[in-house]
Amino acid sequence: MNTKRQYILPNCNLILEGLEDDDPQNVDILDGKPPMSILINAECHLLKSNQKLSGGRVFLANLSRAVSNYAQEFLSGLPQAVDNSVEYPKIAISPVADHNLLHRLTFEPESGSGETKIEVDLSTVELFDLIDAVDRFYLDRSTLPDMTLDLRSVSRRYRKPEQPLTERLTPVAVGFTSLAVAAGALFLIPPPKTAPPESAPVAPVIKTEPEAAPSPNGAPEAESTPDESN
Amino acid sequence: MSQSASLESDFPSSVDSPASILNTLPDISLPSKGCSPNTQQQIDLLLLALEALELGASEQMLAMAKQLGVNEIIKNRVGLWRLRCSNPWRRSYTRDYLSLNQAKALTIVAAYRAKDLMVIIRQLLLAEQQMREKNLPIDNHFRLSEYLERFRAHFRSRMNSRRAKVSAYLASEEQLNELALSLLSKLLFCTGARGMQRVWFSLFDGEVA
Repeated sequence: MNTKRQYILPNCNLILEGLEDDDPQNVDILDGKPPMSILINAECHLLKSNQKLSGGRVFLANLSRAVSNYAQEFLSGLPQAVDNSVEYPKIAISPVADHNLLHRLTFEPESGSGETKIEVDLSTVELFDLIDAVDRFYLDRSTLPDMTLDLRSVSRRYRKPEQPLTERLTPVAVGFTSLAVAAGALFLIPPPKTAPPESAPVAPVIKTEPEAAPSPNGAPEAESTPDESN
Repeated sequence: MSQSASLESDFPSSVDSPASILNTLPDISLPSKGCSPNTQQQIDLLLLALEALELGASEQMLAMAKQLGVNEIIKNRVGLWRLRCSNPWRRSYTRDYLSLNQAKALTIVAAYRAKDLMVIIRQLLLAEQQMREKNLPIDNHFRLSEYLERFRAHFRSRMNSRRAKVSAYLASEEQLNELALSLLSKLLFCTGARGMQRVWFSLFDGEVA
């Protein structure tokens, strides 16, 4: 049986049309509603810009992923890991460069599908309403309960350093440069000449003779030199 | 009997145990010492923005903590102040680390207060957008100007000007206004269906393994 689920917010309406699961085992025990298990069409109306985005299950999944990732990026300032291998229609949200209050939603259909590319600028409040509509859909377990959207924190590997790399490398570069300049400047200074030590005049060798030990007969020992034997 | 039970169940205080509201936020694997200074700073700044939004905000936070059953963690004004002094930007920085439950309790209280103030938060953000579209200074809007002025006053009186980041904010009124408005946007996100979880995960972005 056809069914329609609407998530209505001041700036954004998310309308899902699909088929109910008739299996009585799957009926929600709280409200007694059978869940919508097959999606036929999903429409996202952006009321302020009067734009309508629509598509099937892939559109809804891509919209949810893009919106959720951008919300987390907006909150922490750290980009989420983006899976580039998504199918068409591709949906992306990025901040508008020269306007920090606007966020640009881009809907890119497959080429040749007859649909045109749509770009919508959303204010922060409109973006919040879009995120909230998507979140309400995922919290409603009676609509497409097989679709899930996990939230997680970004790993510290993707953390931006407080100072950019160039700023952190500047002191090191300045240090090395000044060392190189100082080394070059010192290289130009001629090394001081080293004068060879001048040969000092040879001092007269004073032959010191050991004092003659007194001989027992009272004559000095020198007297018994071979000269005297001549 | 059944009537009183059904009446009680309409209030958030009907949690099964004091800690059950904490289970609405998932656990994050943290180092043994506790939350990072960056996380603690973000939580305190969100609470500071709430204080700029309404008078007597700390009393409201305590009342909300009691209503939600986290008054074992946030016991009184001094207890709340001590938890908030884990923000490294504060003059009275205690160098303490928040435990996961303390961080959860503060985030939950901030999110529930933001839900109560959702209308004024939306009005202020719409006013900001209108002023910028008309190229008018945002201070020209009375209610927005009041919020920014109170935020700047709270920031000046509580943050340590000897910290480089704080002194940069204190030197430029425009930067401080931008900080106040970015916190207002975060508070708006707190009011969403999964807003509290989104803000909770964003507090640990770049902190987990």
